Amino acid sequence: MLSAALAGVVVAVAAVAWRLFGRARELQRRLEGASRELEALQHAFARFAPSEVVERIIAQGISTRSETKEVTVLFADLVGFTRVAEELPPDRLVALLNGYFAAMAEVAAAHRGHLAKFIGDGFLVLFGALEPNPWQTNDAVHAALAMRAALAAYNARLRADGLPALTAGIGIHRGPVVAGLIGNAALVEYGVIGRTVNVAARVEGLTRLHATDVLVTEAVAAHLDARFRLRRMPPAEVKGIPEPVVTFAVDGFEA
Amino acid sequence: MGFESPLAIARAGWQNRRVTTAEATARMEWGDCWLAPGPLSAELAAEVRRSTGGVLPGWAPRLAAVPWVVRAKARFVGARFAHMPPALDRWIALVVSQDNSCRYCYGVTRALLKVLGYGDAQIDRIERDVHLADMTRAEQAALEFARKVSHANPRPTPGERERLVQAGWAPAAIGEIAYAAASAGFPNRIATAFAIPPEPLERWAEHPLARLLRPLLALKLRARPAAPLPAPPPEGPCADIVAALGDSPGAHALRAAIDDALASPVLPRRTKLLVLAVVGRALGCLRSEAEARAELGALGIEPAALERVLANLGGPELDRREAVLVPFARETVRYQASVLQGRARALADALPVAEVIEAVGIASLANVVARLSILLDRC
Repeated sequence: MLSAALAGVVVAVAAVAWRLFGRARELQRRLEGASRELEALQHAFARFAPSEVVERIIAQGISTRSETKEVTVLFADLVGFTRVAEELPPDRLVALLNGYFAAMAEVAAAHRGHLAKFIGDGFLVLFGALEPNPWQTNDAVHAALAMRAALAAYNARLRADGLPALTAGIGIHRGPVVAGLIGNAALVEYGVIGRTVNVAARVEGLTRLHATDVLVTEAVAAHLDARFRLRRMPPAEVKGIPEPVVTFAVDGFEA
Repeated sequence: MGFESPLAIARAGWQNRRVTTAEATARMEWGDCWLAPGPLSAELAAEVRRSTGGVLPGWAPRLAAVPWVVRAKARFVGARFAHMPPALDRWIALVVSQDNSCRYCYGVTRALLKVLGYGDAQIDRIERDVHLADMTRAEQAALEFARKVSHANPRPTPGERERLVQAGWAPAAIGEIAYAAASAGFPNRIATAFAIPPEPLERWAEHPLARLLRPLLALKLRARPAAPLPAPPPEGPCADIVAALGDSPGAHALRAAIDDALASPVLPRRTKLLVLAVVGRALGCLRSEAEARAELGALGIEPAALERVLANLGGPELDRREAVLVPFARETVRYQASVLQGRARALADALPVAEVIEAVGIASLANVVARLSILLDRC
């Protein structure tokens, strides 16, 4: 009698344990499914924000916490692109622009730059924003020279295809920026803001005035390897900056 | 600790297969190895075998031209721990090699874990998110910290070390966790730079016979705690970083690796110190940079000239070999596998193979030292 009762208890406990085991496995399966989805999202999201930022968002949620960093900002824009845009059919125009962006993005990555934003036919590359980089300024100017070479190669292909060649202006400035997630509930992006970014954009604008393609500020020149060949440009007024801005054209690098 | 306990292994065996080692490694880009195997002395081969459980891995004869690199790699791969649960080292090696995209080390570590009885699903979970793994909170915290040491972006802060203390780890164990993470980067960088081919162990671990023999193999390969050793004398380069490891066996392995590396005749001491200084600067480790600068000063390099070299990774002060190796050192700090492999191959176009091996070795060691310096209060 007792043994039958004991057997009954054992069977009941086993049944409960089996159910719990099955439930645990089901929960684990769901958890792994959710984790895989999260991982896929993380990969997809990494195209829009740096992976370090994505990891931080996953760990801490979207936060408006920002940080001030010393970075080197490279701002590039196409010169006279409006006319090119008006002359080309949309599909060829987009293909031409995408080819240009692809070539420039490759150069930026090869020099440890983070392509932070496309702005129309221009783009913004940050050096030293995502990881500490004591050589950020040299990297940025090397990148600018490599972009010059890459654009020449791209233009040769465009000409061969009967398309107009592109001309780019590049402005580089170094200084503090505020980096973080910027936006509202509907749209958030990782970005940098501050005077440094504006100055880089304004200096890029001066390439037209000085009839050159790569200009750097005094702040950049002060951190730059002496083997870069620089030409001092006359000070120029730019919008939003009270003092005239002194810039240097970059002619090359003595290896 | 759940690691390698019979319960953990039994539980692992119940897991469904998810991603096999072959599938996981296929995702990692990897080039072709251009280093030809060379003659390896019987003594060195025996030393390697002692640290790898009796196996002579493929990298040993390929790196034979520079014995200290072989010896250091063997010491770091076969690291012993007195304060940290030794089995945790395998998991740290797995996540660090995954983060460093070292297809060779990742494949070997994963195969080893399979041989020890862990299932693909469990390994997969730990790789994806340590919080999903069958681990205690302390173990999860240790793996997270190890990842931060390896990433060094930014370097872990004293506050992050404090969190490990709160999770229950003693300072000596934290030192070993950092050592396990930092030293795992040495084999990772060597194997990646030279694209060392995968070991047959990977395929063998999937073989039905291997599954049959698992209990016996696990018994042989199971990591066992080591006894603490008297701390090495507080002298020689990077003495304070070595001293931070206290009586851990790792302190002796690191001391020996640093001394062997600097004594090796393949590259001049000055070149190796320059590499140490560059890696120190890249990782924001003022201490290892300052120590290398002081030694370089003693070798006759003017401080201003040295600053120019370090600020620009080049300059007329460098000889032809240094002009190539100084910028290369920086490439070993944070890298993509294919880029590092391309840079190492480019070095071989300019320098003899032994010099390339030693250069990769010293840069990899500099990465270990500079990452470990987080154990010191200031840096």
